[in-house]
Amino acid sequence: MCSGWKHVDKGERVHFDYSDEELSFRKELKGFLDGELPVYFEFFDLPQQERFDRSMEFVKKLAARGWLTPAWPVEYGGSAHAPWQQMILSEEMIAHGEPRTGQYMNVNWIGPAIILAGTPEQKEYHLTRISNGNVVWCQGFSEPDAGSDLAALRTSAVRDGDEYVINGEKIWTSNAGVAEFCFLLARTNSEARKQEGISIFLVPTATPGVEVGDIDAVVHPGAFHHVVFTDVRVPASCRLGPENEGFTIVRKLLANERVGVARYHRAAGYLDRVAKWCDERGLLDDSSVIETLAHARVACDAARVLVYQVWDERTRGLHPDESAWVYRTAAVNAERAVSEAAFKLMGAEALVRHSHADNQFEWATTAGIAGGSYEMQLNSLARVLLGTKG
Amino acid sequence: MEMTLSPTQAAICEACTTILRRAAGPARARELRAEGGADTRLLGLLADAGYLDLALNAETGPLSAALVTELAATHLALAPIGVRSLVVPAVAPAGDLPNLVAIVDVAIPGPVRYAAEAEALIVIDGHEARILQAAEFTATAASTLFGYPMATVELHGKGVDLAPGSGDVARRWWRVAIAAEIAGTARAAFDLTSDHLIGRVQFGKPLAAFQAIQHRMMETHVLIEGARWLAREAAFHGAPAERAASAALAAAEAAGRTLFEVHQLSGSIGFTNEYDLTLSSLRLQALRVEAGGAAGHSKALVTGRWL
Repeated sequence: MCSGWKHVDKGERVHFDYSDEELSFRKELKGFLDGELPVYFEFFDLPQQERFDRSMEFVKKLAARGWLTPAWPVEYGGSAHAPWQQMILSEEMIAHGEPRTGQYMNVNWIGPAIILAGTPEQKEYHLTRISNGNVVWCQGFSEPDAGSDLAALRTSAVRDGDEYVINGEKIWTSNAGVAEFCFLLARTNSEARKQEGISIFLVPTATPGVEVGDIDAVVHPGAFHHVVFTDVRVPASCRLGPENEGFTIVRKLLANERVGVARYHRAAGYLDRVAKWCDERGLLDDSSVIETLAHARVACDAARVLVYQVWDERTRGLHPDESAWVYRTAAVNAERAVSEAAFKLMGAEALVRHSHADNQFEWATTAGIAGGSYEMQLNSLARVLLGTKG
Repeated sequence: MEMTLSPTQAAICEACTTILRRAAGPARARELRAEGGADTRLLGLLADAGYLDLALNAETGPLSAALVTELAATHLALAPIGVRSLVVPAVAPAGDLPNLVAIVDVAIPGPVRYAAEAEALIVIDGHEARILQAAEFTATAASTLFGYPMATVELHGKGVDLAPGSGDVARRWWRVAIAAEIAGTARAAFDLTSDHLIGRVQFGKPLAAFQAIQHRMMETHVLIEGARWLAREAAFHGAPAERAASAALAAAEAAGRTLFEVHQLSGSIGFTNEYDLTLSSLRLQALRVEAGGAAGHSKALVTGRWL
């Protein structure tokens, strides 16, 4: 019987095998999550407060097992796992409805930003709380007039003795309704080039003058907020990193945000359920069904294999840019392809609230906006590959 | 996981690039377009250096063979390197086959790449496969726009049966070979078009400065990259049915998008013989329909994953 041949070389090279340690980690993690969470559970289907309460409870279990911040250095509450384990963690979390909800941001890039630029006091206080699963953060980036053009932000932080006085408005801020801290970008120099006058502040949302409001939205209810800062006084010790260098820090860490959610893995999971739906109705021998499913599956596969480039660069201590833009674009393609497949194949049954297709539609329509717009990824890529400005 | 070339892989790619720069490339592709036929000289050079047998070498393996296939396509090589270096070792590992081998599936009608030039033909028939020597089939050259020498094939010899199940194995590796070849060919078309967009000034600035153009090119780039890495992954894992089909379908979709974008964005010069674009672009059309095309790859993928 012809079985083809298999490679025999296991030496160092481009290769696509997980290590035994990584396979064991996935197995153990998956077993735990399977035991703790119902099949097809989506934390984001829950009302905001319930989502928060259940997430806080669950995340502490992860922290107790060392699975909340496994890739962090040991001295900051991590286990110094290789970045590939962080990718595995990301895939398994999202396959189980992302029980960390907003805390995935803490783990993936707010914590790493503090590790990169924080003072010893900031590290001691914040990293301990994040790695223990005791805190929710929001990120104060977008403003009414600064979305894709983030560097145009106008929220100001004016130095006054040992304090800064913050004024401005942030919008679309996920988790602001439950967050204890805001990772805030504010302008500290209005004379400098716009990217060079921005600083980061770690602002307790309970500070007087911080006002959080809900923005009623059709998709992901409870996820959108606006945050108004009116004469908010914070000690200078809340600033992260040097004054006016916030944008540099954020750009280094944004690649983590782009790969923080294994969107391709969730989309592939939804597609499996759509395929099962088709199989139960005897549709899997129909050529149009086959081509629709295959097209969507390939989009998920492409995003998966492209995220490997990002994790590989991180493993080598780099801060991936180009590969992260490529991956983000592919991930949006995957989200949209699966949503399209679900609606095309399931027809009116897809319209039912919280059906697999309906859930995937929400992710697909927001995928190209959250975490940096699809178009910005393409612009950034063009800047590198075509040498263009902008 | 490791996505960076090892010193061995990098050395193979570098040495192959040296050969390909000297013996392949646009000028050679033009010669062959005028003369007809496959590039037996290039095949000989690669064979002599051992680059057609990397798959069976324990130090390298099929991933290296896929890298060479992709690289050769990027340099516009006009020879069945993918079939010879990925399919042949899988079904006829004894190594007694010639360099110039074509492949056909009896269930798929239409002309066959390199059939007229081939010294041997792998014939897939359902789950089985056999090999026919040149005297056992007739190949009649077919006129085609799409960059490869093609011929309709009439079989009249029985050939030699390959091991049971070889048809399925050959089909899987054929898909990997096509995916790698598309990835390289599409990259050649993309790079040439990028140069054109950077150099061509209209409305007082390079075409590349227009966002509408940037976005189309970058979306194309992402599709090509996806196909490239899926092909490599499928080769590494030994061409399992689902992965091989996924790579081939990703590549076929990338080929379709690339073909139309590079021609649209190159304008009229893209169709002329004085310009090099058609040396790569038109080949994409042939590659994307080979081995059953998107419909065949889709069926294999769905069967492998969900049935």
